[in-house]
Amino acid sequence: MKKILMIFVLVLTTTIIVFGQAVQISGIVTSQEDGLGIPGVSVTVKGTTIGVLTAADGAYSLSVPPGSNTLVFSFIGMKKTEVEIQGRTRIDVVLQPDLIAMDEVVVIGYGTARRGSYTGSAAQIESKKIETRPITDVSQAIEGTNPGIQVTSASGQPGSGQSIRIRGFGSVSASNDPLYIVDGVPYALSISNLNPNDIESISILKDAASSAIYGNRAANGVVLITTKRGSRDRTSIQFTVSQGLSTRSIPEYERVSPLDYYQLMWESHYFSQVYASTPVDPAIAAQNATNGLIKNIGYNITTVADNAIVGTDGKLNTSAKILGDYAKDLNWQDPIMRTGHRGDYGITFNGGTDKSDYYVSIGYLNDKGYVLKSDYERYTGRVNINTQPRKWIRTGLNISGTMTESNVASQGGTAYVNPFFFTRNMGPIYPVYQHNPSTGEYLIDPVTNDWLFDLGNVPGLPVRPGGASVGRHVVAETLWNDDLYKRNVLGARTYVDIFFLKDFKFTINLSSDVNAYNGGSFENKTVGDGAPAGRGDRVNTLTTIYNINQLLNYSKTFGVQSVELLLGHESYDYTYNYLRGFRQGLIVDGNTELINFTTTNSLTSYTDKYRSEGYFSRLNYNFGEKYFFSASFRRDGSSSFYKDNRWGNFWSVSAAWRLDAEDFIKAMPWIDMAKLRASYGETGNDSGIGYYAWQALYNLGRNNADEPGFQQASLSNIDLTWESNNSVDVALEFGLFKRITGSLEFYHRISSNLLFSVPLPSSSGLTSISRNVGTMYNQGIEFRLGVDAVKRGDFNWNIDVNMSTVKNEITKLPQEEIIQGTKKLMVGHSIYDFWLRDWYGVDPSDGSALYDADVKDFATQESNLRIVNGTDTVTISHNNAKYHYAGTSIPDLMGGITNTFTYKGISLSVLSTFQLGGQIYDGSYASLMHSGTYGTAQHVDILKRWQKPGDITDVPRLDNKQTSVFGAQSDRFLVSASYFSIRSVTLSYNLPVNLTQSIGVNNARVWLSGENLLLLNARKGLDPQYSFAGTTNHVYTPSRIITAGISVTL
Amino acid sequence: MKRAKYNILIMAALAILLGSCEKSYLDTVPTDQVSSESAFTTTTNAMQALNGIHRMMFQQHNSRQDQSGEGGINIYRDMMGEDLVCTAAGNGWHNNVYKWLDHRNIQSTADYAPWYLYYRFTANANMIINNIDNAVGPEAEKNIIKGQALVYRAWSHFNLVQLYAKRYVKGAQNTQLGVPLMLTNNIDGQPRNTVEEVYAQVLTDLDEAIVLLQDYNRANKSHMNAAVAKGIKARVALAKQDYVNAAAWAADARAGLPLMSTAQYTTGFNDYTNPEWMWGSHVIPDQTTYFYSFFAYMSRNFSSTNIRGNPKAINSLLYDNPIFTDTDVRKANFDPTGQHATLNPPLPSNFTRFPYTNQKFLAAGGADSRGDVVYMRVAEMYLIEAEAYARMGGHDDEALAALNTLREARETVPGNYVPSINTGQDLIDEIMLNRRLELWGEGFRFTDLKRLDQALDRTGANHQINLCVEMTIPAGDTRWQWLIPKQEMDANPEMVQNEL
Repeated sequence: MKKILMIFVLVLTTTIIVFGQAVQISGIVTSQEDGLGIPGVSVTVKGTTIGVLTAADGAYSLSVPPGSNTLVFSFIGMKKTEVEIQGRTRIDVVLQPDLIAMDEVVVIGYGTARRGSYTGSAAQIESKKIETRPITDVSQAIEGTNPGIQVTSASGQPGSGQSIRIRGFGSVSASNDPLYIVDGVPYALSISNLNPNDIESISILKDAASSAIYGNRAANGVVLITTKRGSRDRTSIQFTVSQGLSTRSIPEYERVSPLDYYQLMWESHYFSQVYASTPVDPAIAAQNATNGLIKNIGYNITTVADNAIVGTDGKLNTSAKILGDYAKDLNWQDPIMRTGHRGDYGITFNGGTDKSDYYVSIGYLNDKGYVLKSDYERYTGRVNINTQPRKWIRTGLNISGTMTESNVASQGGTAYVNPFFFTRNMGPIYPVYQHNPSTGEYLIDPVTNDWLFDLGNVPGLPVRPGGASVGRHVVAETLWNDDLYKRNVLGARTYVDIFFLKDFKFTINLSSDVNAYNGGSFENKTVGDGAPAGRGDRVNTLTTIYNINQLLNYSKTFGVQSVELLLGHESYDYTYNYLRGFRQGLIVDGNTELINFTTTNSLTSYTDKYRSEGYFSRLNYNFGEKYFFSASFRRDGSSSFYKDNRWGNFWSVSAAWRLDAEDFIKAMPWIDMAKLRASYGETGNDSGIGYYAWQALYNLGRNNADEPGFQQASLSNIDLTWESNNSVDVALEFGLFKRITGSLEFYHRISSNLLFSVPLPSSSGLTSISRNVGTMYNQGIEFRLGVDAVKRGDFNWNIDVNMSTVKNEITKLPQEEIIQGTKKLMVGHSIYDFWLRDWYGVDPSDGSALYDADVKDFATQESNLRIVNGTDTVTISHNNAKYHYAGTSIPDLMGGITNTFTYKGISLSVLSTFQLGGQIYDGSYASLMHSGTYGTAQHVDILKRWQKPGDITDVPRLDNKQTSVFGAQSDRFLVSASYFSIRSVTLSYNLPVNLTQSIGVNNARVWLSGENLLLLNARKGLDPQYSFAGTTNHVYTPSRIITAGISVTL
Repeated sequence: MKRAKYNILIMAALAILLGSCEKSYLDTVPTDQVSSESAFTTTTNAMQALNGIHRMMFQQHNSRQDQSGEGGINIYRDMMGEDLVCTAAGNGWHNNVYKWLDHRNIQSTADYAPWYLYYRFTANANMIINNIDNAVGPEAEKNIIKGQALVYRAWSHFNLVQLYAKRYVKGAQNTQLGVPLMLTNNIDGQPRNTVEEVYAQVLTDLDEAIVLLQDYNRANKSHMNAAVAKGIKARVALAKQDYVNAAAWAADARAGLPLMSTAQYTTGFNDYTNPEWMWGSHVIPDQTTYFYSFFAYMSRNFSSTNIRGNPKAINSLLYDNPIFTDTDVRKANFDPTGQHATLNPPLPSNFTRFPYTNQKFLAAGGADSRGDVVYMRVAEMYLIEAEAYARMGGHDDEALAALNTLREARETVPGNYVPSINTGQDLIDEIMLNRRLELWGEGFRFTDLKRLDQALDRTGANHQINLCVEMTIPAGDTRWQWLIPKQEMDANPEMVQNEL
């Protein structure tokens, strides 16, 4: 971006005068960072206006009048360099990056700003941080790069992005997602529609000063994505190819072995009798457990008889071994996993004349995930043309098309078709394929000669219990079912700039985004929910978005003062059409279109509409490049609210002071730069509560047979209005010793009128109502430091560290407390403070789970209360357990570290991220720590269970009857959320320019990169970044991708 | 030139102003919903709000497979009795209800299901009851709509109080905590009324409904007419051990209605045009309920994992009780061998066989879980009448008349049934056995045991201890009360939990 802008500015404003009859000097200007030629560098003869710009490959040629001594090379983002001519005619120059980069251009709302004068808080990520990473969704480029930003882990499903939170959590029930703006227009579609290779920069607007101009949707911050455009005076073609392999990055939880499992299930049955409300004599119970073992869990895959696997002493028969081929066939993950492959291919054409520029790109991505039937295939095309035929008018068109086809792996929750749930929880004794129960040999299908899937209820074979997903088979269902979608997206942006009266510019921006989605799923008729009929499902949606804005810019310089004024109006129109058909009764195998089914189960459609409109203005004032002031205002209306409450006013004021322009700082030469800035403002949020939340409604389509019917859906709430964010931001930016840059920033953000889905007593017949209730704040400190640790000749080592804190606290609620899942909202606590049963431990006398008791009436509760350790009143009933605050999912500190090593054309970059403090409720682990559900896998920690009176342990006895009591949600399953990860490593090499040019190539680069290479955390199997709320789920864990790539520019 | 540029400035300013949208630009309405106001502008619309309640009887709730409205709750009620036998753990559904665990776990979805469902009925009924008077339309239509809404409200409160409160004790004050009476659409948490208060309101609503519905000639049996209201009233009286009224109202409810033929008895209990059905839902194809249909758990022929692995059986002691003749048609709906040779099409090979499984309920097909769901039959009215007279004392003749009428109707070989001449406790026992066999799987057993203050006893029959865990539960045990679900406890500060 900066290169293009510089050229642009120079072309527009500089008159380049070249004198003849002088010495001709030529050379190449390259970057110290990557060794590539830099186009657009201004080369001037010192003390004159004589100058020239470098060409696409960094080459220049300049006639220098006699008597000239020095050439000056300048370029935004690079240190200005002066070179003595000393009679040479060839001068090659290597420019050093300018760490301070005060002239760097930052993309902000409805315009750009220079970093040195900007009064708001904006972080920018440049294209070069994206290019070499195997990123499909550019949201993945953000993690770890800047302070104040928290992300969840990216799903391993190809095409997935990451959720982003900027400066904490601004809402409870409404959206916490930032607003995405692509090329100046709110983008409501998936960011994965964008080809990362087309991205020039990503700006993240964090404070009110930078985001309030987006008023109604800016409360959670703004992510501005700008796509590439062509460079004038340059023509190039670039080819890029990368190939990657993907595997699972986070391993599975550690689970018990088959033989241990028999013993554990024996105990579960045994203790369920011994400790029943009508106890069974231990000897009889043991006999029952020994004889009933296979009855309970179905499969005997050992070499001994059903009643000889575990003796009446509860011990495993030492001569029991796993029979025949069973041993090879007990891992359910192997058959659904593979080594994924990711291929990314792109061509771009880039160029322009003095009045026009163009950028054309075509991309193809084919990413096959490491789980069967999960992939993502994307074709992207983009054409960006700008032209300025007359001095007073400029116009452009940026159109893009994306076609995506993706197979989606089921994930999340406990559906049988979710392979991550199914394989994790399948008991270790159940085979994937059918075996001869007496020999253990595989059974062969006489027709196909293949092994046969064992569904767990095949006649003649053993039956799996309910805890082992009887009758279901995730491998078969993954192979035989379909869940896929196609998505065609067309986006267009066009604008006209009219320059007039010297200082004015009027702009109209028009845009439309159209997203056509066609989703289809098929459930086979052999196994699963589709059996025995077969079911087909089609969802077609069409999303149409129009956005229009009109902007009037005025800018004027009066001596040392300058003023910029912006006036604007914007309207936004979002329409979503949904159509779904669902049928069953497959007629002909192999065709899953709806016409090939006999019976309609569901057929429905609807249309949703959302609109907003805003008027806005911004004033920037600059006094002597020393004092800067800015104010913005926006009045926004939203269709989500009742007419009397739909308009809101949002605004900001901010100021910056360049200390380094003051004499007292100039006296300290080790200070390269120092800037103080502060801002305050208000932004709003209306998204995530539905489009019609204020209205009292009945749901249509609740017909009683063929009689039309509807049902109550919601109550009216005309008072519903904007959620507002008031935030203050203070920062110091600095540069020291020519090798250190950094910033220290503090923010305090108050969210009030919180849009809230307030739970209602179920006795009201409704479950929740949307209300504006409560206030909370987020505050934190953000710190960033970039250090050139080593600068020795061509070798450079740069360390960039960022760290931040966030404190979230509720300060007002309409009711004393609101309990939501594992959390309770209360004044003085964060929205992510865990509210869980207080786990006390395990009673050594009988292995019961003990919870701190919630004692109200001792007499009536006595039957489930116990006094332990002399004084502690505990309960054996989870219903009677006391709940308490048990930590929070919000970490104390989080951050990222980027180490970059460069040597000549070689560059090695390592991105690490970390988090310290915070807790996670590990529900996935809890599901494996059950107290003996027949058939379900168990975590190895279950081996520490209570087994006999006197055992001191924290794991209760196995008891099939007590699984919900012993395994109830409690703080027992909290685990530390701290982690350290190596998120991304890239090693790249730019072939030397003189070598590439000798083969007619401007430059060429090869690289090797790895994603998700290392994760250190509290428990093997745990994904500490699954959710901001500190929960876990049975999901597609992130991929580890190793990629090799090459790019060649002609 | 300069002037032209000023014009551009003016035009630009105008463009910004004129770019503003029309005032109605920000007014949007949903297309899959209607406003509550318009729902009650006319009686035609209000009728649709009533149809929405009828639909609730058999639709899926809370996205849970086992919550198919009233049919789903009926399964819970029988799972907790001794007559419905799980043959295997199957794929897990209802296991913890069968074990008497779920209704005592405040976080279980099964404990929440009836609470949510019946209060959802109540809220939708209240919307009608409290708005219908202002709707435009004939008075007769208003009566029909309001009358049915009142029946729903009464029936819902009655169901709630039976599950979540201690039983009604005849002759006592009944000041034990019942459930909140919701008579308006109130979203503030309400305290629990006493059991006495709840029963009183239930009867008030039913009496008002019977008046409003007296001339109502319904289009089909998913609607409730006066006979249904009277039938519910008979159930309420029975639960109150008010046997005089129970007998009278049951007789009134069934007046003029036939019992079905023995041929109709074995066709699968899936057709609401059956002459004996008084109240039931009709399920059509695009309202199929897949795996959340009643028939996905209770039928013999639908090919769900649950039914293939855990077909539901009848208590073997009940089935084999010698008071039933071998030619009693009701026994034909169960197969002690588990082979179901009479089924057509035959049971597929991948359906697990267990003794005593039922074929009382049959889905539309192996791939189609549809079937109409029954909520009230004439036979139940005969049984209420018989039981009430027998328990009243001194009215054994009337009791025998009702019982023998039903038994003769169930006899496939005329004359094979010798009319009963039992008296006293023997007669009561015989009636109760008939009630259990006749109403098997229709959701009565838990509340029957509770209203009679009897113990649960699953011993000696085909129950397996590893599946049901609880073979016996003493009468009066705290576990007869379902716990108030967590969702209510958390959001309603007025709510008091049952004894733990």
